[in-house]
Amino acid sequence: MTSNVVTVENLVKTYPRITAVDSISFKIDEGEIFGFLGPNGAGKTTTIRMLLTLIKPTSGKITVFGVDALTDPAKVRQISGYVPQDLSVDGDLTGYENLLMYSKLYGVPRDGREKRIRSVLENMGLQDRSGDLVNTYSGGMMRRLELAQSLVNRPKVLFLDEPSIGLDPNARSIIWDFVKNLRNEFGTTIFITTHDMNEADALCDRIAFIDKGRLVAIGKPSQLKSTVGGDLLMISSKTPGCGAKLKGLGYQVISNSPEGNFEMLVSNGERVIPRLLEDLKANGMIVESVALKKPTLDDVFQKYTGTKIAEEGETSVEVRRTRRTLRKLRR
Amino acid sequence: MMSLTTYLSSILTLAEFELRKLRHDSSQIWIRGVQPALWLLIFGEAFSAIRGIPTGGFTYLQFLTPGILAQSVMFVAIFYGITLVWERDLGLLNKLLSTPVPRSAIVLGKALSASVRGVFQALVVLALALILGVNLAVNPLSVLGVLCTIVLFGVCVSCLSMGLAPIFRTRERVMGIGQLLTMPLFFASNAIYPTSIMPDWLRVIAIVNPLSYAVDAMRALLVTGDFSTIPQDIIALLVATAILATMASLTLKRMVS
Repeated sequence: MTSNVVTVENLVKTYPRITAVDSISFKIDEGEIFGFLGPNGAGKTTTIRMLLTLIKPTSGKITVFGVDALTDPAKVRQISGYVPQDLSVDGDLTGYENLLMYSKLYGVPRDGREKRIRSVLENMGLQDRSGDLVNTYSGGMMRRLELAQSLVNRPKVLFLDEPSIGLDPNARSIIWDFVKNLRNEFGTTIFITTHDMNEADALCDRIAFIDKGRLVAIGKPSQLKSTVGGDLLMISSKTPGCGAKLKGLGYQVISNSPEGNFEMLVSNGERVIPRLLEDLKANGMIVESVALKKPTLDDVFQKYTGTKIAEEGETSVEVRRTRRTLRKLRR
Repeated sequence: MMSLTTYLSSILTLAEFELRKLRHDSSQIWIRGVQPALWLLIFGEAFSAIRGIPTGGFTYLQFLTPGILAQSVMFVAIFYGITLVWERDLGLLNKLLSTPVPRSAIVLGKALSASVRGVFQALVVLALALILGVNLAVNPLSVLGVLCTIVLFGVCVSCLSMGLAPIFRTRERVMGIGQLLTMPLFFASNAIYPTSIMPDWLRVIAIVNPLSYAVDAMRALLVTGDFSTIPQDIIALLVATAILATMASLTLKRMVS
């Protein structure tokens, strides 16, 4: 039996002109990787900042490992780790110094400090560059250092705000592996915000869709995807009467074109294909091609909100790149 | 509740890493030392020739040196709010605020960081004054006293700057407000002439101006040798610092929301 270690009830954050977070409630289990998936401006960062006690909610209740975040914020901060979307390591210090500074600020005992810093550096593969100024690091290395930095206080719950935004695929997979390892080896509870459905699908045990400050759906990726109504199976056949035959065989045909392209909704499409082909062959139909499209989280999101997540992705990547560049320009 | 030692060690940690940054790039100390040096060299030498300013039997350069020491720290500290805005823009401030360190300790730690920079600059100015042959009472006690005054005054002014940063929010505006304040703070003080030559209304400003107290304490230590006003100088600076630090701590959270 797992226990809820983060509970959020009717959380609201309003600003003079907008409601950033509109009465959301959810629970996270211990050792779970929980994802907030939604487009930019949906309220993801505002939520993460409220959970970390950086901004005060307008109303609602948050508890983290039994600690009330509104009445005892310092205690929540002590057990939390945070990797913000923006930069969180100082380019004018070395990698090692960034870690040392934060282990001191978190009050890590002097005798365990060096060992802990060395272990997070090795964990992130940064031990060889730890003596260099962070300004000389690549984007991926900075990100790994930020992750290392978020671990110096051995957090019980780690908050990652868009952890792989602006990274190349290689750096991204390093981050993903790291997050999974952290949960598998240490049982750390992890809260991730992302607008990348692939990231949410690859990493998260459960996902909450957030749009315009509201939670629109919550569940396991597989559960969510099954709500779209199954897989899309597409065949093309020039044999006349194929559409009628498909319907006759009991398939749910949702579109057919005069050129002989048919689309139908099925469950477990990969198992349906062999049977379908045999059925059609037995009925004298010649199939030219078959294609299967599994539902994506984006399809689910679209079902609940009528919009897609993906299109807006680029802007914040740009923002982050600009920030990194700014950082380098300062030298 | 956090213990006092943890509180103090958080403040010192923030200042320690500012020092480490200076060690990585020490050129900025020398560059920033040029302006106060020019005040001594150009302004000081020119006004020495006028002899129109009552300096109580001391040469004008003797009189001026503590004023320039305080000024050099003030120029660093009054713009420290820009650093805060910059760190907010980058995201570093958010990260810092996500640690259990209390807001007031963050403010004091950052303020001490500004002072640390000021101390190095002051040493450059002091060395230059000695090279120029200014007759100063330089001994371990007076130098220590001067450094303590500089640290306290630097904390005081950078708290003012950090208190203003969340109100003005952008680097440009904080820069503007710093420039706006520099002028009255510097000229309505005893830094380059005694307050006795001022009209009454201006003297009132000089009396509430923390710079006057920092200059007075350093002038006593380095020039006059009359320590009788030092306790009141220090108390005035401590009171001003307490008020400004409280203000800055309270407004800090507005910085990120």
